[in-house]
Amino acid sequence: MPDATAATLQMQGISKSYGATVALENVTLTIGPGEVQALLGENGAGKSTLVKILSGVVRPDSGTLRLNGEVYAPGSILQARRSGVTTAFQELSLVQNLSVAQNLFLPSALKGIAGLSSTKAMHAAARDILERYGIGHLGVATQVSELALAERQRLEIVRAMQFKPSLLVLDEPTAALADVQWLFRLVRELQVQGTAILYISHRLAEIRELAQRATILRSGRSVSTVDLGAASDGDIFEMMAGHGVVRSTVVPLKRASRPRPVLVVNDLEGCNVKGVSLTVGEGEIVGMAGLEGQGQRELFRLLAGDGQPKAGQILLNGKLLRLTCPRDALRAPGGIAFVPEERKVEGIFASLSSANNITLPVLDRLSTVGLVSPHREARAAKAPAKEVDLSDRYLNFRIGNLSGGNQQKAIIARALLSGAKTLLLFDPTRGVDVATKEAIYHAIRRHAANGGSVLVYSSELPELIALSERCLVMYGSRIVADVAGSDMRESYLVGLLTGNAQVADAVSH
Amino acid sequence: MATLIQNTVEAPPPWRGVMGRHPACFTLMLYIVMYGMYAMFDSKALSSYTFTNLINNASPLALAAAGQTLVVLARGFDLSIVGTLSIANVIMAVLPLDGPWGALASFAICVGVGALVGSASGYLVAYRGVQSVAATLGVMIICQGIALLILPAPGGMVAEWVSDEMTSTLFSLVPASIILPVIVAGLWMLLGKTDLGTALYAVGADQAAAELSGIPVKRTRLLAYVMAGALYGVAGFMLSAQTATGDPNAGMPFLLLSFAAVALGGTSLAGGQGGLIGSLIGAATLMLMQKVLFSGGVSSFYIGLFQGVLLIVAIVIGRLINRSRTGDRP
Repeated sequence: MPDATAATLQMQGISKSYGATVALENVTLTIGPGEVQALLGENGAGKSTLVKILSGVVRPDSGTLRLNGEVYAPGSILQARRSGVTTAFQELSLVQNLSVAQNLFLPSALKGIAGLSSTKAMHAAARDILERYGIGHLGVATQVSELALAERQRLEIVRAMQFKPSLLVLDEPTAALADVQWLFRLVRELQVQGTAILYISHRLAEIRELAQRATILRSGRSVSTVDLGAASDGDIFEMMAGHGVVRSTVVPLKRASRPRPVLVVNDLEGCNVKGVSLTVGEGEIVGMAGLEGQGQRELFRLLAGDGQPKAGQILLNGKLLRLTCPRDALRAPGGIAFVPEERKVEGIFASLSSANNITLPVLDRLSTVGLVSPHREARAAKAPAKEVDLSDRYLNFRIGNLSGGNQQKAIIARALLSGAKTLLLFDPTRGVDVATKEAIYHAIRRHAANGGSVLVYSSELPELIALSERCLVMYGSRIVADVAGSDMRESYLVGLLTGNAQVADAVSH
Repeated sequence: MATLIQNTVEAPPPWRGVMGRHPACFTLMLYIVMYGMYAMFDSKALSSYTFTNLINNASPLALAAAGQTLVVLARGFDLSIVGTLSIANVIMAVLPLDGPWGALASFAICVGVGALVGSASGYLVAYRGVQSVAATLGVMIICQGIALLILPAPGGMVAEWVSDEMTSTLFSLVPASIILPVIVAGLWMLLGKTDLGTALYAVGADQAAAELSGIPVKRTRLLAYVMAGALYGVAGFMLSAQTATGDPNAGMPFLLLSFAAVALGGTSLAGGQGGLIGSLIGAATLMLMQKVLFSGGVSSFYIGLFQGVLLIVAIVIGRLINRSRTGDRP
């Protein structure tokens, strides 16, 4: 273990909050020269905030950073780069309408005569760089938008490497790479040259091959830095998931027989959705777990009629559905109502009242010859509002002025009032307080008890475990597991989530 | 490290650099075809007098559209174009400075005023995060008000030297009014060889990626508006030369026509794609279209209708051509 004085990077007590949301709290991390250290954590554990702080995109609220012994407080990407920290971002920071060569030298092109950028010099230099890092087959003049995703990922990595940083941050560098050996070879070369590397990935096998130590983040805190040689995968999952999770007061219902299937999906194919089959029964709450970007978002959207599947069937109450828009899903016999995740963008109409927001899908039922009666509207909104424990006095307020929790309640009330028997809830409790969560859980439970069906995705595993009877796990665009009963434990699910199914089984048994 | 077996991705031809990605070639072809039609309808079309007239008509719009292009490339819309043109025009009318040096001073004033207005819009959009339409609409209304204060009703006289020389024919062949657009085109080609030129495209295509790539996004936006404002000033200067008089509402017709010229020139209104030279030719094509329809005997009542249809057809065809050109790659 490198001692603190010789460390390349030293993070001490780093905290960052966005409004009331604490992204990082008192995070401590040390990386020595030539060390590859892994950073592990579930969704929302604070990994991306940490990357942003290191790359100069955001500044921490408190704490100190030291790079090679000197205070490091970058105010921009360029300052970070000048200090010797570069990052290959998960979301890829290449500008698509520029060429490979131009991207490599952003923001300053190589200059020729009279200070004007020289395409010739840039192409030659870019060719050298690409050759050196083993991607010489890319055309330097090719526009980045014409490259396949894997090639873009390689280019992103090479761009970060070619600045010869003393600390290189690789954020999910293998997400789009089929051939990881290329990356491993480069990482090992850098290691020999004394570059410190922070390697963020959820693929434990890769991490074990490259890294000596791993720092585990949970809910914005650095839980510990472990020697990977001494920690089993099970230990790591336990640390990622945490202990002493507060259980919801709602106890999952136990049933004897399998319920009548309501929503049946067969071999659904679409963008980021591969061969998905699932069944949600009458009165059943089925959970769905998955890391960011495993296809769950796309799957929910297909089921809600937003987008067309390439192949496969969606059956509702035994009838084949052809959904061309969300309205179709809502109007189908039985009905499917979707509560999207981005409530500010896709859920609420900020300038309308809460009552207006709740009654939107059923306005035709509340109107006479096309004119909506405000009185009937207000009355209609009351019942579902009560279901989700939304106080009557909020109904006349503009929904934009309500707290996030109350907005979420209103949106769920809307889904309930729409009369749809099947609810698709995408992260319904994201960013709401504990009391609101309870109210939402009760509303979901009541809906199921009254014969409705619910498919709920959540980024919080304890929530899924508390709420649902079965839990589907999505990984790499597929449903990789259907877990029920006593198998629904966090440490086991984390293993499945990260695509380490065998390991998860080993932990389980 | 690279193995020799790896097949080389073929490099695109050089004309598909940043500037040539949405080549103005299609617009130029359209212009030539239309000029041919014009020549069929009107035997005088090929005279240098007619050509000079056409270029004189098109020059202010071409310069204004060139400015608009810079803002559009950086993913914005600039409505202040109206205000800047009007202010430049009324200043030229109430403050005629005669002789070549007077003209140069007037020119500098127009450019300076334009850059000042542009920096106001740019500051609001880039540093205050105001939506471009809202910010520039406010700036436009303020500028229109200022133009009315300077010259409450149409009138005034533009300096004789400007109105004569800037609309003349040089060596009885080259229209003088083409000089400024050509210089602007030249400057644009130089800009394309600077980091600012590259940044303009990057910001317009993907602000987040540009930021993470170290591009100064805010400064780039601001400069796009400042340069655009300066070009509107130049456009106002040329407009004054052409009309020889002042009108506080002189800029109004340029608002929508500038967007039409930009779109016709192959620049994507969504930003990040296209170029300034296309807009120059696009503006010339729009003005030529009017002439062709008129000389083709289309009643003036129908000209607007035809112009709109032709514009849409041209843009759609241009898009199709460019897509088939770039669409052969995965």
